[in-house]
Amino acid sequence: MKENRKKKQILNILAENIRECLLKEDLDFAELQEIRLRIGKPLIVVYRNREKVLPAGGTEKYAVTREDVRETMDYVSHYSLYAYEEELRQGFLTIEGGHRVGVMGKALLEGARVKNIQYISSVNIRMAHEKIGCADRVLKYITKNREVCHTLIISPPRCGKTTLIRDIVRQVSDGNDFVKGCTVGVVDERSEIGGCYQGVAQNHLGMRTDILDCCPKAQGMLMLIRSMSPQVLAIDEIGTCEEVHAVEYAMQCGCRLVASVHALDMEEAGEKPGVGDLIRKHRFERYVVLGNSRHPGEIVHVYDGRGNILCSG
Amino acid sequence: MQRVIGAVLVVASTGAAGVLYGAWLKEYLETLLYLRHVVSMMKGELEYTGAPLQEVFGRVAARVRRPYRAWLVGMERRIDERDGESFRRIWNHAADESLSSLRLKREHLAQLKELGESLGQADLASETRNFSRYLERLEKEIEKERLQMAAKRRIGNCLGVMGGIFLVIILL
Repeated sequence: MKENRKKKQILNILAENIRECLLKEDLDFAELQEIRLRIGKPLIVVYRNREKVLPAGGTEKYAVTREDVRETMDYVSHYSLYAYEEELRQGFLTIEGGHRVGVMGKALLEGARVKNIQYISSVNIRMAHEKIGCADRVLKYITKNREVCHTLIISPPRCGKTTLIRDIVRQVSDGNDFVKGCTVGVVDERSEIGGCYQGVAQNHLGMRTDILDCCPKAQGMLMLIRSMSPQVLAIDEIGTCEEVHAVEYAMQCGCRLVASVHALDMEEAGEKPGVGDLIRKHRFERYVVLGNSRHPGEIVHVYDGRGNILCSG
Repeated sequence: MQRVIGAVLVVASTGAAGVLYGAWLKEYLETLLYLRHVVSMMKGELEYTGAPLQEVFGRVAARVRRPYRAWLVGMERRIDERDGESFRRIWNHAADESLSSLRLKREHLAQLKELGESLGQADLASETRNFSRYLERLEKEIEKERLQMAAKRRIGNCLGVMGGIFLVIILL
């Protein structure tokens, strides 16, 4: 059922020729991870963690045309590219199902800022994947008296920190043996946590979650605190001084914080301007360090606020 | 006596034809006014929400009367179907299919189709400008129709009655 829906969502946005190519392959859409279209280049998919050039069996590979890319973009944007200007400026937009369509072409500048992307030549469709239950292992360490602790997830890119935050949000929102269900506010600047489509989260974020999509994190946190009084706030990839100040402010407002930061380990995170200060001030009560030496989402260590290891590997 | 009755009937019917022509002119003007209203709503919705055209059509469709509703709902559905058509084709096809009952003059239909050719390709400011440009042209056409209507109605009425009298004289 879910797979059929995913298949429909993906096929719906693809140009007719690409659609045919994919359907001929008889792929299991649940295992499909990426579809890459590049004008004049072969159609490539990432399937079961392996790259495949389509058609897989044939000697003559299908070359993506300018028309295929244009048609795909028409479908992706519902013939309304203007409606996705903000997203395109960041190089991607989110479609129904939380799948992400990355686009590249010629950057149109306004001053020093990217205004839009013209002459789109590459499209990368990344399927949304949720790992329901991936937070099971850490939940007992990041909760205390059935309440979630201020938690910072430290991870290099592509190690599953967003996936982990998403599942923490879902579990905290719904409640379980470790944590009682409470109101969660999510500031999702790049639609990564919720995968929102038309303001509605496409991923499971729990029944008590309010999501503020496409909003700058610092501003969004304050908005959520004022308007939705969340008990827990979740944000992905904090970094700037404004964001760090907003995190501190939120902590002083009685909110529990679950945030993530790009870093290899505790040491590297501690050296970061802004976030490093928070660590030194012991603002966070738990640190979860992720890695991917064995698999994405691998839990390397869980530390308490003083840097003592609570759990390893 | 029969001749008098016949003559009166002929004059009355040709006079009525003149009046009907006047009514048709008025109705046509109202059609253009309502079209302006519909397009203005689309522009307003676009400016305010910045939503994709499909959504704009859907929202406006709920607030307008037939056949405009069928026109907008038809476009909304076709966009959703994604069967390889360009937006221009969707727009033109829907206009031909759903707005034929309005009997728009060729130039007015052509102008409406031109609007569809420029939609969906640019940024929000340009899209809004396209709507504004069309509305300005439509405004001019409405003004033209309005100015011509009074004279045309008078001529229609006079011609109807005079034509009837002329016919009666010939027949007598």
